[in-house]
Amino acid sequence: MSRIFIIAHSEFITLVKTKAFIISIVLMPVLMVGLFFFMSFAERHVDVETRRFAVIDRTGQLFESIKAAAAEHNQETMTDGTRTGPEFVPSLVDVGGRTADDIKVELSEQVRQKDLFAFVEVPPDVITSSEKPPEIAYYTETTSYEPLPTWLRTALNAEITKRRFDSAGIDQALISRLNTRADVTTFGLVARAPDGTVAEAKEVDELARLFLPMFFLILMFLAVTTVATQLLSAIIEEKMSKISEVLLGSVTPFQLLMGKLLGVVCVSLLLALVYFSGGLYAVFSSGRWDLLNPALIAWFVVFLICATLMYGSIFLALGSACSDLKDAQSMMQPAMLLIMLAYLGSFIVIRNPDSSIAVGMSFFPTMTPFSMMLRMAMPPGPPMWQAVVSVVVLILSTAATVWAGARIFRVGILMQGKAPTLPELLKWIRA
Amino acid sequence: MSIGAIGIHSVSKRFGEHQAVNNVSLTVPEGSIYGFIGPNGSGKTTTIRMIMNILIPDSGNISVLGQPKTANVRDDIGYLPEERGLYKKMTVHRVLRYYGQLKGKPVGEIDAAIKDWLNRLQLADWADKKVETLSKGMAQKVQFIAAVVSSPRLLILDEPFSGLDPVNAEALKDAVLEMRRRGTTIVFSTHDMNAAERMCERIFMIFKGNKVLDGTLDEIQKAYAHDTARVRVTGGAAAITGLPSVESINDHGNFQDVRLNGDPQVFLQQLVQRAAVQQFEITKPSLHDIFVRIARPTEEQA
Repeated sequence: MSRIFIIAHSEFITLVKTKAFIISIVLMPVLMVGLFFFMSFAERHVDVETRRFAVIDRTGQLFESIKAAAAEHNQETMTDGTRTGPEFVPSLVDVGGRTADDIKVELSEQVRQKDLFAFVEVPPDVITSSEKPPEIAYYTETTSYEPLPTWLRTALNAEITKRRFDSAGIDQALISRLNTRADVTTFGLVARAPDGTVAEAKEVDELARLFLPMFFLILMFLAVTTVATQLLSAIIEEKMSKISEVLLGSVTPFQLLMGKLLGVVCVSLLLALVYFSGGLYAVFSSGRWDLLNPALIAWFVVFLICATLMYGSIFLALGSACSDLKDAQSMMQPAMLLIMLAYLGSFIVIRNPDSSIAVGMSFFPTMTPFSMMLRMAMPPGPPMWQAVVSVVVLILSTAATVWAGARIFRVGILMQGKAPTLPELLKWIRA
Repeated sequence: MSIGAIGIHSVSKRFGEHQAVNNVSLTVPEGSIYGFIGPNGSGKTTTIRMIMNILIPDSGNISVLGQPKTANVRDDIGYLPEERGLYKKMTVHRVLRYYGQLKGKPVGEIDAAIKDWLNRLQLADWADKKVETLSKGMAQKVQFIAAVVSSPRLLILDEPFSGLDPVNAEALKDAVLEMRRRGTTIVFSTHDMNAAERMCERIFMIFKGNKVLDGTLDEIQKAYAHDTARVRVTGGAAAITGLPSVESINDHGNFQDVRLNGDPQVFLQQLVQRAAVQQFEITKPSLHDIFVRIARPTEEQA
C-alpha cells in the first residue's frame, strides 16, 4: 500500500509541475474572462464609422422621417462627445428622368468608389399595399455588415406602421398601451414554516439556473481532459524511455496503475479546489450566499473522483498498449470521443433536465458524472432514487473499468512494437 | 546443497513462433559474480526479465534469494535494465530517491546512499541537475546508482558497460566490485568478453535459447583448451596452412592462433618439418574465442 502512495505522490508532483496543468489552472480562467471582456469591448467600441447611404424614396414621403430617425440614432450613439456606435447619414436620390436601372448602376458605382456605403430603394406602395407589402431593397458591397440594415428595418417599419395607423384613423399610442405585455417571473416553491408563516418564495434567477450548472460542467470537463491526456503522454514517455521496466522491477503493475490513478485524483481535486476558491471569492464579494450549496459540492467531489478514475484507467490502459506517440494519438481518438459525447450531451440536459434522454444519459456510466451533475445542480433536481442508482452504477462501472484497465496495463506495459487492435485488447482483459 | 541466490529450473519461454529460452537450468551461488554472455537475441534479457518476474516463464520455475516468488524479495533486488529508464525532467537526486523509496527504504537511508554513490562515481555536482542535461555515460552511472541505492542483496545488471567510454567503464567496474565486496550477489550480462573474463567467477552462455556454457572460467577454458596453439613461425600463416592436424587458423599477422583437430605434439612435429618455429604455446582460449567458436558456425548457416 505504501508503494502506491509513493507513486501517487511522485505522480502528483510531476503532474502539477507540467505546463498543461499550469495552463489549465491559471490561463483558462484568464482566457475565458479575457475573451468575455474583449468581446463586449469590441461590440461597443469598434464600429464608430460614418455610414453614408442613399435612399431612392419611391413613396416620396418617407425620406424626411428616415433623416429624423438617423439624427436621433446618431444622438443616442454619442456619449460625452465620444461615438459609441456608427453614424448613419442618409441622402435623398433625385430620380430625375432616369430609369430605375440607370440609377442603381450609378449608385452601385458610387458605392464601389467608397462615396457611399450602401443604398436603399423603398417601393412606392409600401405604405398603401393591402396585401403582403413589397420588399424594401438594400444594396451594399459589404453584405456582412448588419447594424445598418437592422437599423433601417426597425426605423422604416416604425414609420410605415405609424402611417398606416394614421391613414386608418387609429391612435397608435392607444394601441401600444393596450398591447402592453404582462411579464412572467419564475419562482421556486412555497413552503409553510413550522411557526405557520409562509416563507417567501425565492425568485429564480439566471445565475443560479444556468451559471452554476455550467460552472460544474466546465470544471468537470477541464479536470477530466487535463488529467486523461497527461496520464496518456506520461505513460507513453515511461514506456518509450523504459522507465516502466525499472518501476516494474520494484512494484507490481497493479500498484503502479493504482498509484498513478490516486495521483491524478489528487490533481483533479486540487484543480477543483482552486476553482471552488475562485467561486467562493465570487460568492463572498457578491454576497450571493444562496448560491453556496455544500451538498452539491459533495456530490461534485464524488462524481469528479469517479470520472477521474474511470477516464484515467481508460487512458492508462490505452497508453500502456501503445509504443509511440503516433499510436497513442489514434488510440486516443475514440476515448476522447467518449468525453466529448458526455460533454456535448450535457447541453441537451441543460435544455430539459427531466426529459427521458437526459435521464437515460445520467445512467450511462461515461456520461453520469456530467449529466447527473448537471441535473443535480438544476432545481428541482432528479428524484432521489435516480441519484442513488446512477451513483451505484457509476461506482460499479468505475471499479470494472479500473479492473479491466489494470489487466490491459499489465500486458501492455511491456509490449513493444505494433499497437494492438481492439479485439486484442479485449483478449488481454480476459487472459 | 544450497539453492543459491538464484535457482532456475528447466525454464522455457516462447514468444509466438520464437523459442526465446529453451529448458534452461542454472544456479547462481550466493555472493558470486555471474556473467551472462551470448549474442544479441539469444535470450539473455528474456532470462533476466524472468528472474525479475517481469516476464512469467511458460514452464519451469525460478526461485530468487530462497523464495519461489520474486515478488516476495523484490525489495532486495537491484535491477539495471538493458535500456536506460530515467525521468528526463526530474533532478538526479529526486529520481534516485524515488527509485529507492519504491524499494521500501526510508528516505534518510536512501539519501545517505545517494550521497555516497554520487561521490564514488564523481557525480556529486550533478545531484540537483535534471537528468536530461546528463551525458550518456553519466546517465548510465546514475542508472547504476538507482539499482544499488537500496543496498540490494542481489544485483542484476543487463548490459551495464555497453556504450561507455573506457574511463566510465572502469569507474562502473570498480562500483560493481565494490558491491561484490559488500557481499552482494551480482549477475550481469555483457558483450564485453574482457570484462566478463576479468570480473566473473562463473560464466553462463546462452545461445539461441539454449544453455551452451556454464561454469567457472577455468572449467570452461579447460574444456576448450587442448586444441588451441599460439604459433609464431617464419613464413607466417602460409607455412601452417594445409597441415593435416589444422582445423582453422586465426591469423593475427605476427602470430597465429591455430585450432587443432588432434594432439598438439603431432602438430608441432609437422610444423618443425615445414618452418622455423619461433614460438609455440598451447593456450587457454580467450572467452572471446570460445564465444565466437560457439556462435559463428550457426550464424553462417542462417
